[in-house]
Amino acid sequence: MAMALVAFLVLFVVGLAGGALGDKFGAGFLSSPLPHLQLAAEKVTANEQFPGFTITNTMIATWASIVLLLIISFFATRKITEVPRGLQNFFEAVFEYFINLAESVAGRERARVFLPLVMTIFLFIVMSNWMGILPGYATIGRIESPEEFIHHAEERVEKQVKEAEEKGETVDEHALLVSELGNTKFSTFNGEGSVGITPFGSVSDQISAVDYLEAEEHGEHIVPEGQQAGILVPFLRSANTDVNTTLAIALVAMVLVHFWGFRRLGFFTHLGKFINFKQGPIWFFVGILEGISEIAKVISFTFRLFGNIFAGEVLLVAMAFLIPLIGIVPFLGLELFVGLIQAFIFSMLTLVFASAATVSHGAEGH
Amino acid sequence: MDALGINLPGLITQLVSFIILFVLLWMVLYKPITKMLDQRSAKIKESLDMAENMKEESAKSKEDMQKQIDAARTEGQQMIEQARVMAERFREEEMAKARTDIQTERERAESTIKRERDAAIEDLRREFADLAVTAAERVVEKSLDKTAHKNLIDKVLEESTKGRG
Repeated sequence: MAMALVAFLVLFVVGLAGGALGDKFGAGFLSSPLPHLQLAAEKVTANEQFPGFTITNTMIATWASIVLLLIISFFATRKITEVPRGLQNFFEAVFEYFINLAESVAGRERARVFLPLVMTIFLFIVMSNWMGILPGYATIGRIESPEEFIHHAEERVEKQVKEAEEKGETVDEHALLVSELGNTKFSTFNGEGSVGITPFGSVSDQISAVDYLEAEEHGEHIVPEGQQAGILVPFLRSANTDVNTTLAIALVAMVLVHFWGFRRLGFFTHLGKFINFKQGPIWFFVGILEGISEIAKVISFTFRLFGNIFAGEVLLVAMAFLIPLIGIVPFLGLELFVGLIQAFIFSMLTLVFASAATVSHGAEGH
Repeated sequence: MDALGINLPGLITQLVSFIILFVLLWMVLYKPITKMLDQRSAKIKESLDMAENMKEESAKSKEDMQKQIDAARTEGQQMIEQARVMAERFREEEMAKARTDIQTERERAESTIKRERDAAIEDLRREFADLAVTAAERVVEKSLDKTAHKNLIDKVLEESTKGRG
């Protein structure tokens, strides 16, 4: 017990000294520098696989969790027996939990219809959230060279210049480029090669993109010998930190919810909830509001999950930056919890929306 | 949209991936588990029904057994009763037989006694007659016909017995 406490204190002190706080006092040897954070998923390769399509790191993470889920389920049901064992037991427990929940919300008959979607949503979200905090996610990747990065920035500037010229305005191209580069900082990696791991080191090891550009223009090299500058583009990034993923799940969920609504209530009854001429103008506006709320559901689904998981990733990165070694530990636990809760919320809301969509308003009111 | 990272290729890729997962999980996970759970619940229901049936059956057989025991008990009691009655009758018969036996024995004894007594009386009477004849011969000193004499005495004795009796 005392040993553990001492070890914890040593780790804490080393972490604090090596982290971003210690960096201000001349230490800071362990800090993982704040990576280049962006909302959009990073493209893993420099080239497009198909015109307009490049594989992103969230896609790879999505496929990884899909493959893992399928493998686990395959082994769970490969030798399915009446007396359950091991994985089968686990999946049956989850299955029964959800079917009981669904039956309590939607009744026995509809529960069986809704269950596959609800469970798929839960399993996929929880799997990708939990895989997203594994080591290797967001830390191993391709090194995007400064030239490549600046080239992309220049392309964007050219576009803006063209637009400005069409309007007849004159712009300072260099100033635009500087603002486009912003406060992007290149990390430095040891050795050659295009694959890198998030480096340890001080914040002061990083090189500002603007400085790099100026140095290049003056023919100088500010990158130390034997090192290369660049931006790490991780191969894997938690699937739900991409709006496309969460939007895709939300769209599938809401499309199926309304499909069930149409199938159960009939086309015109279900449509009549949203476009209602029969009961006067007030009900017409109520219908319009209902329609808007359906769109709002998609948006809230999308951004609730995305926001929670993205914020979690940022939190983990920030803690690794501030207190390396152990600062991240309690937040890993928190992220496990958040990942589970978000998966549960998404699936439960799908279930509730589905059971609400398959009940006609007339039956609800009376 | 661009700043958020929403783009059509990415969205379509994720949609397709999720739908593929949905379909495959349906085939690999939900179908077998649903089937298994249904199968199991059917089996449980079946065994519960069977247990119920067996319970009923055992209750019935217990009742039957009780009935049989009761029947045997009454039968046994009847048999005991019968035996008792028979024994009673047997005893009474035996006693009656013994009683009649004793009666006949006693009658026989009585008749024997009477006969003995009559014989004794007869003997005595004969002795007495002879004695009287002898005595009378001596008294009369006259020889009389012995047979006529005896007749005379018999006649006297007869008269005396009649007169006495």
